[in-house]
Amino acid sequence: MSRVTPGARGREHRASILVATLSSSFGVLLLTVTGILDTVIRADDVTGTSGTVAALLAVTAVVFVALAIYIGAVVTANTFSTIVAGRTRTIALLRLIGSTARAQRRAVAREGVVVGLVGSAAGLAIGVAGAFALARVGVATGTLPDIAYPVVEPSVALPVVAVVLTTWLASWIGARRVLSVTPMQAIGGAQELTQEEATARPIRNVAAIVLFILGVLLLLGGVGIGLVSPLGVLVGIVGGIVSFSGLVLGAHLVMPPALRLIGRLFGSSATARLAAENAVRYPERSSRTTIGLVIGVTLITMFAVAAANFQQVVLAMRESQPETYEATQAVIGTTVAVFSALIGLSALIAAVGMVNNLSLSVLQRTRELGLLRALGFSSGQVRRMIVLEAAQLTIAAVAVGLVLGVFYGWAGAQAMFGSITGSPTIIAPAVPWLVVAVIVVLAAALTAVASVAPSRRATRISPVAALAVD
Amino acid sequence: MDNSAQHSAVARVSGLRKSYGPADNRVIALDGVDLDIRAGQFTAIMGPSGSGKSTLMHIMAGLDQATEGRVQLGDQDITALDDGQLTILRRRRVGFVFQAFNLVPTLDVAANIRLPFELDGRRPTNEEQSWIDVLVSTLGLASRLGHRPHELSGGQQQRVAIARALATRPALLFADEPTGNLDSRTGRSVLALLAAASTEYGQSIAMVTHDPIAASYADRIVFLADGRVVDDRPRSSAEQISALMLGMERAA
Repeated sequence: MSRVTPGARGREHRASILVATLSSSFGVLLLTVTGILDTVIRADDVTGTSGTVAALLAVTAVVFVALAIYIGAVVTANTFSTIVAGRTRTIALLRLIGSTARAQRRAVAREGVVVGLVGSAAGLAIGVAGAFALARVGVATGTLPDIAYPVVEPSVALPVVAVVLTTWLASWIGARRVLSVTPMQAIGGAQELTQEEATARPIRNVAAIVLFILGVLLLLGGVGIGLVSPLGVLVGIVGGIVSFSGLVLGAHLVMPPALRLIGRLFGSSATARLAAENAVRYPERSSRTTIGLVIGVTLITMFAVAAANFQQVVLAMRESQPETYEATQAVIGTTVAVFSALIGLSALIAAVGMVNNLSLSVLQRTRELGLLRALGFSSGQVRRMIVLEAAQLTIAAVAVGLVLGVFYGWAGAQAMFGSITGSPTIIAPAVPWLVVAVIVVLAAALTAVASVAPSRRATRISPVAALAVD
Repeated sequence: MDNSAQHSAVARVSGLRKSYGPADNRVIALDGVDLDIRAGQFTAIMGPSGSGKSTLMHIMAGLDQATEGRVQLGDQDITALDDGQLTILRRRRVGFVFQAFNLVPTLDVAANIRLPFELDGRRPTNEEQSWIDVLVSTLGLASRLGHRPHELSGGQQQRVAIARALATRPALLFADEPTGNLDSRTGRSVLALLAAASTEYGQSIAMVTHDPIAASYADRIVFLADGRVVDDRPRSSAEQISALMLGMERAA
């Protein structure tokens, strides 16, 4: 067994541990807070008898936690596959002296278990402490009644265990590349990593396309039914979930073209062209890097658009019931803010994945960056190239997410309110520009943050050291 | 042919020293090198591993800084240039052919050859483009322009690197073990191309190698050992060069 120093391993896995910690602490916090609210509701004389509110809260919490864990798993699978790509030569050497590919893959997956355990345990501690602090603050400020709250809900075992399992699974999936490493790669010339082989996955492609088409048909069906009955929204929701699942499953079909399109907008200078090529160099990697962000932006935009449309409808009906308008206005605002914050955590996990991925990919391109420096690429050009790569990833993800979010949000609103005036009405999609602006600003900030560390590292590369044959 | 009076120096180092590491554990790579690389000539710099030949090339090409001494390229003193100025110098006045990993994997052959111009933020002029066309057809790359590096053989990759290195008509082309990764027949054809660039286009070339056969293609062979120039010969056969190298190994 080769032992890379624990320090180096630890650094490699820092981002994955952070992702596991975020998912797990979010899950623990949300479920504990749900438990606290549940206690409050039960203690209340009016609502205590009805289990509906508590059940609704629990379901909402589980949905958002599942979303965070899912995106965390996608990010981690990507990180592991990138790490494995960087270890190709070491793995090849071990294969050369007689280790089996399966044993190598298991070794990587074991690292995944450790990452999951460490991250999940840290998340448990942070989540419990955070919820406890929130409850104390709530009681102290008089927001919550001063009664006994459970410190640790039994339900928090759910996200903790789920994060360990999904991290392990993600590392196993990410380690698939190990199987394609041959012993020859240990002794072969110092060739660059070959382009990621476009693995043909006909079943996955067909499933993605079928789900997407089926989902869109259902969604449009829901919109159609919505013209005569608000029940259309139920069909629409199913259609939305199905079609979006198809999109996520087929991210490798959607994201690379989007990235190419954005890349072309950056012009034809050497810097821009190299950045554009780099962003789609490993299509699978770029798709996984961006899809988490796409999911987050889509969901936030969707809720915001649906809410804006809802407000329009309410506005139209205000003349008849002014007092209802005031009440719904406040409820909608709070709901959108809470949902955005909850989805925002998933978007944060996706952003961590993006930052990490860009760092790792720069680390693995040391030779190439050394070559570019030798040929006359200035350090300013290197920095610009990396900023453009980061920009391309965020812009593509945000653009796709905004388009999808506006469409889904409008379709939902249309399906629900198409019949509200008594006769079939087409609602124009209302775009909440404030939300869009916030998303764009955050995306720009993400680009800046994501490119700081890698570009500093890249400009420090000495061409002599980078070109030394290893 | 080897009349130094006909050849002005295209690069010159004097009193060149280079050391690495802390004061108490100093590794001396170059220990007082004086050398002229003559214009229009194909010069081989030979020496065993650790002789300092690669370090010498890196410093002459503006990739590394000298600890002591002066470095000139053309009539410009480059000793004290900063990173930005050296970058421009490498882009415009120097060509490189490395042992491996010469090409940018995401760019096709045509874009790799044009890269030095595009780094300068411009397209090749008509005159430069017709020179590139000449190079492409001479080097047999015309049918490969749309290919990516991983679709090419090792010899083809080196030919693309040579085309790129010659495209800007650099003052000096540096080749670092350009045949180190090739089979011997392909290697010989690459060496013949370099030699032809020198005789036909008057291209100045400095090639670092430890292979006597490669060095036998050069007009002049400079021998380095332990960071010093120990011998300087006109064109020699591979057998003569081997004998000299063996002698140096025995003396060491």
